[in-house]
Amino acid sequence: MSDVVTKGAMKTIRYLLIILVSVWTLAPVAWMVSLSFKGPTEWYSANIIPIQPTVDNYISLFVPTNPIGGSYFFTSITEPITKPLINSLIAAGLGTIFAVLIGFLAAYGVSRYRAGGTFVIFFTLLTRMLPGATFVAPLMVFYASIGFVDTYAGLIMLYAAVTLTYAIWLMKGFIDEIPPEWEEAALLEGASPWTVLRKITIPLTKGGLVASALFIFILNWSEFLFALVISVTQVTTLPVQISKYVSAVGRMYGTMASLGLVATIPSLVLGYLIQRHLVTGFTFGRVR
Amino acid sequence: MPKLVVKNLRKLFGTFEAVKDVGFQVEEKETLCLLGPSGCGKTTTLRIIAGLEVPTSGEILVDGVLVNDVPPQKRQIGLVFQDYAIFPHLSVFENIAYGLRVRKMPEAQLRTKVHDTASLIGVDNILDVPGKKLGLSEMQRVAIGRSIALDPKLLLLDEPLSNIDAKAREKMRAELGKLQKEIGIATVYVTHDQLEAMTLADRIAVMRDGLIEQIGTTSQIYDSPRTLFVANFIGSPSMNLIDCELVQNEERAILKSRDFALDITELAERVRGESKARELILGIRPEDVSVDVRKTDPEAMQSEVQLVEPIGARSIYHLKIGRLTVLAKVYAMPELEVGSKVWISFNKEKLHLFDKKTQEAIL
Amino acid sequence: MKRAPRLTQWIRKTETFKKLSTLPLNFVLNFVLIVPFAIMIFLSFTTWEPLSGYDWWHAPVAGVPRFIEAFGDARLLWAFIRTTVFVAVVLPLEFLLGLGMALLFLGDFRGKRAFTSVLMYPMMMPWVVVGLGFYLMFQYYGPVNLLLLKPMFGEGGMVDWFTNAVLAFGAVMIADIWQWTPLMFLIIYAGLAAVPRRLIEAAQVLGASSARIVATVHLPLIKPLLVVALIIRGLEAFKVFDIVYIMTRGGPGVNSTEVISLYVYNLSIVYHNTSYACAVSLLIMVATALVTRLAIRPLEVKVE
Repeated sequence: MSDVVTKGAMKTIRYLLIILVSVWTLAPVAWMVSLSFKGPTEWYSANIIPIQPTVDNYISLFVPTNPIGGSYFFTSITEPITKPLINSLIAAGLGTIFAVLIGFLAAYGVSRYRAGGTFVIFFTLLTRMLPGATFVAPLMVFYASIGFVDTYAGLIMLYAAVTLTYAIWLMKGFIDEIPPEWEEAALLEGASPWTVLRKITIPLTKGGLVASALFIFILNWSEFLFALVISVTQVTTLPVQISKYVSAVGRMYGTMASLGLVATIPSLVLGYLIQRHLVTGFTFGRVR
Repeated sequence: MPKLVVKNLRKLFGTFEAVKDVGFQVEEKETLCLLGPSGCGKTTTLRIIAGLEVPTSGEILVDGVLVNDVPPQKRQIGLVFQDYAIFPHLSVFENIAYGLRVRKMPEAQLRTKVHDTASLIGVDNILDVPGKKLGLSEMQRVAIGRSIALDPKLLLLDEPLSNIDAKAREKMRAELGKLQKEIGIATVYVTHDQLEAMTLADRIAVMRDGLIEQIGTTSQIYDSPRTLFVANFIGSPSMNLIDCELVQNEERAILKSRDFALDITELAERVRGESKARELILGIRPEDVSVDVRKTDPEAMQSEVQLVEPIGARSIYHLKIGRLTVLAKVYAMPELEVGSKVWISFNKEKLHLFDKKTQEAIL
Repeated sequence: MKRAPRLTQWIRKTETFKKLSTLPLNFVLNFVLIVPFAIMIFLSFTTWEPLSGYDWWHAPVAGVPRFIEAFGDARLLWAFIRTTVFVAVVLPLEFLLGLGMALLFLGDFRGKRAFTSVLMYPMMMPWVVVGLGFYLMFQYYGPVNLLLLKPMFGEGGMVDWFTNAVLAFGAVMIADIWQWTPLMFLIIYAGLAAVPRRLIEAAQVLGASSARIVATVHLPLIKPLLVVALIIRGLEAFKVFDIVYIMTRGGPGVNSTEVISLYVYNLSIVYHNTSYACAVSLLIMVATALVTRLAIRPLEVKVE
């Protein structure tokens, strides 16, 4: 029966293609993992599995050494990445918290009370449409004038502002899912809008809020352009540090790879958490 | 040869046995109705015939050919879904033409066929309307047209009238009946509405819990229900069912119930099986209960009117005998009102007796 | 009719809340966006630069010399062309690959959830790391050369990706495609999975093969979704910066792979050509606003 044969063949082809796609997707990360465990002698060779695996690359991120001997290739490798790492955490963390707090409040106001009106929506849309680079020139001028260059405050405000639009957009979606009648009932009983928020809205949208917060954190963690512009020495974030590595003349592939992976791990972990929380978030909304 | 043969069909969904052992035949030009409450397996059976589900065991033969392994695309069976499943992005014309285009029918021929089908089902004035803008009865027509345009060997309909509101349903029922006579394809029709089944089908198969309780013509099902379930399911209002017991000696046979006794000596020989003092259920349809203000029948029993339901030319009277309520469906007697005393008698020819463990004794 | 005092109080409370809820938002937006925006407009009509010697708020308004300069700027034009080429190549490929992947994943198979999870990750990685990863892949002694080209074309097949403008640009495009195809996949797959099963079954009973069903039922029904996905991704692709910066810095040479965002960045930060940068930025904003307006139009209609 030719039908059975073609069915079997189709299935195999399908699996082959799926595996191909998976290999394509994993390739860059796999290569970085491979490089990060290789010593300098293997950086230019094609083997995927290191012959002499080593964790020196990771160590040298925090305790700078010169694996090739002789003078340092460039100054940025003399710094451990602890500071950029911490800076990234602070900037992304606080930026996210602000974005979520302000954004949630605004989203709630827009959703329930039509606060802000078209102005808010318009601005929300606009900030997403415009290339970030167009803001850089006046931003620098402004920040230089008020002394915000290379400061945490400057960076955090920027991060909060940039991701605010995502925050509002995402959380408004979750807020809209909750039927307003419940809140109206509480309001009519005499509760203040703040209490309503606290006791009713937030518990119900918790899953969605957490998912949004994680998503925004990933965005802030990955943010590059503004950090590059604002930071000089004090608030360099991890992505900026990576760019400094790359612009070197030397080819310290192993260290670069390990740095890249270290920078990616939070994103991957959070991404996984988001997938889990989104399921919870949606079921929360369904159980009325 | 029968158009469709279903043999020993069984279908398991995990551990749930939706269809236990179903078998029937449908002849050319015949309409068979699968009637039963929801969950009895009738829709599953239909889907298996269409090829959308694979049976756990059993055989489906169309025109004598085993089609178990044939995919739905190739079975040449038409299926009209309960929610019609009209392609919303296609016009009525394109919906009907869909299957014809699959067959690569030449354009001129296709146009004729679509137009002919459209006039047959009464949609030739809305051929350009996109699917998503159609009303429910229009959708149903297009769904039917879409299937019959391919001149299928068999037509399957899954509760086609259940989505339509009561008023339109009567009209559609009549149209459907007319259409079936005109087209003349062997049809299997699934419904839970016994009125639909009675009006549209040549034969009815009453299903319950994955099994066919009885299969027969409409009059057979109505007049000679073989099980209590069938008797109760068919008929509106449902058959009166009264617990009783048969007391028999050489001379007489009497049905004794809590509230009355009925002499059935002349029918005694037709009672099947053991008869000594079994627990029985007496069945009599409301249409077979006669009501009179005077005692014209010597065996009539006295009762009191509890409720009157006027339903047009006839009325349904709820009559109380002792503690029992019997329904009678007779021509309206306006002189009767709640509290009136009347005499009721049962048409003994239309009496049914059931063993309490669901099986029939006599007609 | 006299209103109940409790009601008035309630109205007052909600009114205050309404105003308060967007207050922090307004504050932040004003600070970070509107003030710089105003500065940008102002400066674009001046000829100020950090090296001009005086504070920027003392800069004399000089009219439109910067704007005229912008229209004659060849480098700007080339940046724009390059960006357009980038989007024109990347968008269709991401779309087609995403569509292919969605079709591939339609229906059940073993390990589907695991595979889908794997496919999602490129979207979550920081853009600079993606750039870094592909930078490492395309090195002369990297896997693309050593594991792909050398086995196929021998030693001579190996290519120096980053010393050739076209190849470097190609590498950047591949990086972007790698990262964002999963997004298209996600959107398209969601659309395909939402097609009601009944319609598919109806088409099957009418004789249609799986391929035919996809073409005649699935695709037409997800068309509006596809348009949205293309618009969203297209607008984002235009803003590309991170991967270009990491992988090529605009090189080889000075600006052979310079996209618009990078050019503006260079103007602002590297060349300190502030007033000109502001003028160019303003022009880009106006153009973007117009294009966005046009792009939104089909979306607004679709919402019906």
